[in-house]
Amino acid sequence: MELFSNLALGFATAASPENLLFCLIGVLLGTLIGVLPGIGATATIAMLLPITFQLEPVSSLIMLAGIYYGAQYGGSTTAILINMPGESSSAVTAIDGYQMARKGRAGAALSIAALGSFFAGTVSTFLVALFAIPLTAIALKFGAAEYFSLMIVGLVSSVALAHGSVVKALAMVALGLLLGLVGTDIYTGTPRFTLGIREYADGLNFVAVAVGVFGIAEILRNLEGEKTRSVLVHKVSGLWPTREDFRRMAAPVLRGTAIGSALGILPGGGAILAAFASYTVEKRVSDKPEEFGHGAIAGVAGPESANNAGAQTSFIPLLTLGIPANPVMALMVGAMIIQGIVPGPNVASEQPALFWGIIASMWIGNLMLVVLNLPLIGLWVKLLTIPYYVLFPIIMAFCSIGVYSVNSNVYDLYAVAFFGFAGYLLVKLRCEPAPLLLGFVLGPLLEENLRRAMILSRGDPTTFITRPISATLLLIALAVLVVVFLPSVRAKREEVFQEED
Amino acid sequence: MKTLSAVLGMTAVAAISLCSLPAGAQTYPERTITMVVPFSAGGPTDTVARLVAESMSKDLGQQIVVENVGGAGGTLGAGRVAQADPDGYTILLHHIGMATSATLYRKLAYDTLGAFEYVGLVTDVPMTIVARKDLEATDLKGLVEYVKANKDTVTVANAGIGAASHLCGMMFMSAIETPLTTVPYKGTGPAMTDLLGGQVDIMCDQTTNTTKQIQGGTIKAYAVTSPERLAVLPDVPTAVEGGLDGFQVGIWHGVYAPKGTPTEVTERLSKSLQAALQDQNVVARFAELGTVPSPADDATPAALKAKLEGEIARWKPVIEAAGQYAD
Amino acid sequence: MKSLAFDSTNAICGAVFVILGGFFTYQSLTLDLGTALRMGPGYFPLLLALILVVLGLVVLVQSTRVAGEPLGPIALRGMAFILPAPVFFGLTVRGLGFVPALFFTALIAAFASSRMKPTMALMLAAAITLFSVVVFSYALGLPFQRFGPWVRF
Repeated sequence: MELFSNLALGFATAASPENLLFCLIGVLLGTLIGVLPGIGATATIAMLLPITFQLEPVSSLIMLAGIYYGAQYGGSTTAILINMPGESSSAVTAIDGYQMARKGRAGAALSIAALGSFFAGTVSTFLVALFAIPLTAIALKFGAAEYFSLMIVGLVSSVALAHGSVVKALAMVALGLLLGLVGTDIYTGTPRFTLGIREYADGLNFVAVAVGVFGIAEILRNLEGEKTRSVLVHKVSGLWPTREDFRRMAAPVLRGTAIGSALGILPGGGAILAAFASYTVEKRVSDKPEEFGHGAIAGVAGPESANNAGAQTSFIPLLTLGIPANPVMALMVGAMIIQGIVPGPNVASEQPALFWGIIASMWIGNLMLVVLNLPLIGLWVKLLTIPYYVLFPIIMAFCSIGVYSVNSNVYDLYAVAFFGFAGYLLVKLRCEPAPLLLGFVLGPLLEENLRRAMILSRGDPTTFITRPISATLLLIALAVLVVVFLPSVRAKREEVFQEED
Repeated sequence: MKTLSAVLGMTAVAAISLCSLPAGAQTYPERTITMVVPFSAGGPTDTVARLVAESMSKDLGQQIVVENVGGAGGTLGAGRVAQADPDGYTILLHHIGMATSATLYRKLAYDTLGAFEYVGLVTDVPMTIVARKDLEATDLKGLVEYVKANKDTVTVANAGIGAASHLCGMMFMSAIETPLTTVPYKGTGPAMTDLLGGQVDIMCDQTTNTTKQIQGGTIKAYAVTSPERLAVLPDVPTAVEGGLDGFQVGIWHGVYAPKGTPTEVTERLSKSLQAALQDQNVVARFAELGTVPSPADDATPAALKAKLEGEIARWKPVIEAAGQYAD
Repeated sequence: MKSLAFDSTNAICGAVFVILGGFFTYQSLTLDLGTALRMGPGYFPLLLALILVVLGLVVLVQSTRVAGEPLGPIALRGMAFILPAPVFFGLTVRGLGFVPALFFTALIAAFASSRMKPTMALMLAAAITLFSVVVFSYALGLPFQRFGPWVRF
């Protein structure tokens, strides 16, 4: 079996003592920097990238992959503990993870995230090893029309992110989509909604928006009731998940892994949708959808698994085509080139040790992550006992550094303040930030692909239904709509009956 | 160890500049130099900068750190350097966009020809005219015929306004005198993906992005835009060989300093740049990217100044004819 | 007086959506709209902005039907200190340099809480600055100037 000899080669490469060491250092550094509030995976990797330049190519990439997983996990940790997502994927984790933390279940939430990620990482690593090449062929079938339809599925699903008013959630999505369009229109070069500020020509910084509407809004909310509370969480019960928790996370983890693996392969931003899609599915299949938004275990387990699986499979386009699927992957490409490896379709055949070594190190990195982080959970949870008035200056300092370090753009810092204010306003008005953030990441993709599809089809709108993959996706969107609205009608009726009791 | 090499570096600088110089220039550089790259980390320009910066650091005895100030087609980073102290501790590595943004942006925060001192040219990355792999034409002549025959349906991808692929695409359309439908993408990655998937027909992009795909047979190459064939792609003819007279486009990179930087400092940097461009590691990495370092007499202030002026004049009519501006 | 019972939070919320939608509508109209087949830069945002206005109106109308909870206390002191902190960092990081800019950023943020004592705030800001300089500036070598031109002699 060729696969086994390849994997053996990979493990032989990745498991050499020094590569294991670099993998460990990478995971450790990634976790430690990524866990600093306001510093997400992109900023962490950008900061740590130069360190890897001094190493051998394979070691350097293994370490970088370690940093990537570590940073992602670190980002989820801050999302759960202090509602500070550093990346679009962990924004979803923040919804229920932070609620679990507030209920004293931070330890359980973190372990669930770690175990779910590990499982997803293991499965998707084997998917990468087995199917990388055929999957790439499928991914290439995705043109603009297909991406547009995929984004529609994501948008329709976003309604499920709301646990309050559906109308408000839709309005937040629309607002998010508009905010996502801020910047230069790629088709004409026209600046849009930039208020004449050239620093916003490339759009608003995601971290600035996410930190603002989630983190800073939350800080301000905590400062309201100063007299009554002194720490974020009073009582921390049980660090580990109970047997009941394990039972309830199993299915969401499996579904999350499947969703994440599938969407991660698409180079045009499919992975962005993974966590959101998983959350939607979990909320729909759950027999207690009312728990979502108030600390549902499935709301952490599913999206975290999806997120990690997507992170893993988003290596596929990079490894098989040499095309980066997201900004993090673009950094990896830069690192490879500096090491003298220009990624392209031939990497697997020209540099088998490197190719399979990276794949093997993905799994090793995930293993290390879980081994490293389970004992650390106790430490992270202790952070919650720090009085909040000490925590806030720390958060503000790190998020200033994190936001600034990505592009040295001071306007990103002004955006943090603005979105902090806007986020607080929206919280006061009982609007939820998650749909806004989904809209924000989807906005540019949606418009770009819509207009591109129209250009490519020479202005023929039937392109969306005559292309089979696109048509299928639109049917799925329709099905989701039906499923979303049917139960809500049922739920309303139930409410009415309850009131009559 | 670091201090020792710093001392050695400074002694070397002092030795080179024997004659009486202003005090600042004699000891230059005495601290870390920041090289601003006006694009995000990991991109081709960033890669060029990091390779050169690392090698120049060795020669200067002081670390050159790369700072990515991305945004607005490189004009934000260039603007940052234009306003920096002219002491030689903030320098800029920019590509052809330095010349094209002078026309693409009608309101720049700096005066392209008046705000900088010149250090030297770094490299001139050739472009390749490529197409989806199942396109029937077999050579450049065939491609041009095909394009002209199907001018209503052929699509040209580019990585956004002002990108190398956008410039080269404009040049191609003006060379064959056939306007085509352009499909902009956000960056090279998605554009290349759609070319691989056959969603778009043609693209003209840097060898940095296309060489491996051409070698892997996932896209078809019709021409390189350099004066001679490339060692990494020996079978691909030049555009001139293929019948497009005078069609030579390159993504040249240069190093600049803010206006008012002492000549001794720019000379010192230029010397160090020339040394870096002969560094075996730099040469080898550049070769893998399908490019070669600029020869020593191009890595000079005068050559860069001439190049910038020439390129501004060359691109102005092309961009104005296309009528697309970035602001 | 039942007809007067309306949800003030949702009323404000609806109004905010309408105003924002109006702003984006106005801005979109200054852009080239193009046609549905060849969309200009203003087409898609105009569509979204109008949807936002409509949704805002729906929220507004709904708010008159039910009574809601009041807004609750507003963290004025928090806003006065938390929001300027990153702005201050942005304004000074290049001029003062990383060390002083970060110190004052942390210090400003520290005063967001009425529980913070001045000495405690100073110590905390110093500790944060020390940690960040060691980690980001020395260990990771980020290209920040530790002391900028405003404080250099």
